[in-house]
Amino acid sequence: MAVPAVRIAACGCLPPLGDAAATHAALLRGERALRPVPVRGREGGDPVPLALVADRALDETMPPAWLPTLAELWRRVPGDGWGSPRRPVFVTGSNFGVGGLYALRRNGDREFARWGAPPTCTEELRQALGWGRDVSILSHACVSAHLGLLEATRLLAAGIADEVLVFSFDFLSPFVAGGFHALKILNSDFPAPFRERATGAIGLGDGAAFAVLTRDRGEWRLEDQTLYNEMHHFTANRPDGSGFDACLGGLGPAARGRRLWYKGHGTGTLEAGRMEVAAVGRAFPEAPITGWKGSLGHTLGSCGLVELALAVAAIRAGWAPGAIGTGDPMGPRVATTAFATAAYDGVICASNAFGGAHAAFLLAHA
Amino acid sequence: MLERFIQQLGVDDPGAAKAAEIRERLKGRFPPGATRRMTTLGLLVGSVLEPLSPQEGDTLVYATAFAESGALESFLDSFPGPSPTLFQTSIHPSAVQQLMIGRQHPVREFLPLSGGGLLAFHALRAALVSAAPRTVLCGGEERGTWLLDFGLASPRTFAFALALTTAEPQSPLGRVRLEAAPGDGELGLPALFDLLAARRPFHGPVAPGWRLELAWQ
Repeated sequence: MAVPAVRIAACGCLPPLGDAAATHAALLRGERALRPVPVRGREGGDPVPLALVADRALDETMPPAWLPTLAELWRRVPGDGWGSPRRPVFVTGSNFGVGGLYALRRNGDREFARWGAPPTCTEELRQALGWGRDVSILSHACVSAHLGLLEATRLLAAGIADEVLVFSFDFLSPFVAGGFHALKILNSDFPAPFRERATGAIGLGDGAAFAVLTRDRGEWRLEDQTLYNEMHHFTANRPDGSGFDACLGGLGPAARGRRLWYKGHGTGTLEAGRMEVAAVGRAFPEAPITGWKGSLGHTLGSCGLVELALAVAAIRAGWAPGAIGTGDPMGPRVATTAFATAAYDGVICASNAFGGAHAAFLLAHA
Repeated sequence: MLERFIQQLGVDDPGAAKAAEIRERLKGRFPPGATRRMTTLGLLVGSVLEPLSPQEGDTLVYATAFAESGALESFLDSFPGPSPTLFQTSIHPSAVQQLMIGRQHPVREFLPLSGGGLLAFHALRAALVSAAPRTVLCGGEERGTWLLDFGLASPRTFAFALALTTAEPQSPLGRVRLEAAPGDGELGLPALFDLLAARRPFHGPVAPGWRLELAWQ
């Protein structure tokens, strides 16, 4: 089922290193946004690598300390009438205001409930930003933003929307840091995606991003999109890597015969990293592989959209930052330094999630 | 106008039954031992979804506003030593994954939605714009406990699943149409469930600028 091509009229992101251009420049310099932070915030715990916007604390506040970041992102979204029937909004993410739930359970302050669940959080945001009522919520862990792009594409292709805004955000809290720490993949080590080393580790990051999709206006085009859900294990992929193959194989004719680079998911876990590198080698053997979660951390449900904006910034600037981290690369196609994008005519951006969920899209100049 | 035929339908309305009663009633529907870590919502959604046998090429749309409220409450209560199992179980689309992972059934497109008063409309719209010949739309809620006191969990427990096709099946159960039209309204998930459970026809606004026609044979 090929997905029709759509244009990106505008996109942007606000991870902790600044907007897309500033973050791209920082990645080229090899800067890391990740810092050691106690996993339960003010309640302590092991220091784990987290990247937080605007020097905010991990603990949730009321109103949320991350709200100004979303307001700043919103100021960069062009157009008006968002949330009306012909200009619907897709809000994507995996956290929403879940940090408020943690705070609510700890201190009993009802104010935290207002932002505590996806529907209530999105309704607060909708009112704060002045959107109309047609605001959908898609939440599928770390491929959430990809689903927003796909659904936006479907509405445009069906002719039932003129433009669609995909708006994604994930902000960390003791809830999510504690959960990943309990799974033992978030620990005191810093992540080194696509690098061989003794043990794997991830970092987590705040992230927010948007894209405005249209049928026929915009400098960039999503040439194709694909999803695949292994449904093999809650937190592991099929060991033969077939889920990665199935996802990348879903990028149809739009990917054939093109010179592509690959922005991988690459959180820093070893098995998934090896499987991803191997699958890319089978599907796109000439493509250099990079990933930026070694600096920004994993921005969870928003990573697909944050990294889309960074891929656009990379192509605009002519340089794709290499994978951030230390150690030996998992193969010769892993780019450990920046490379020129002029030699390529598109980039595949991929994300993975719990449940063996995979998503990818092919981005190119229109 | 978007249109699909209703090929199959399953609903479960346990009313005020307690979680333990639901578990006891449904445990035989799953392999021995599989239910130990399943949530109430996972049991309910799994039991109505399984007979529809979602296939890899089907689009699977899942709607729930509050998802695994029980696991979420327990995970929050597990701090300062958070439970890894409850963390992964409390993640939004876990109810469907509990069945599909148990059955080792991959699916290409899985679209989990949340939302409020327009959730049913958004889920139907997602199902009706799918490119797949067959879309399985499922959803449900499980009653919360302390989260319910803050309006952060459902007061009702229910689940449904319906298979929608582009081609008219031999004996369709009904038909779903979404049509752009002036007007305003809303249709939350419990309201959609009530329509499905009673096989009650509906024709009216379900969102700003959209009308739903639900017809039964």
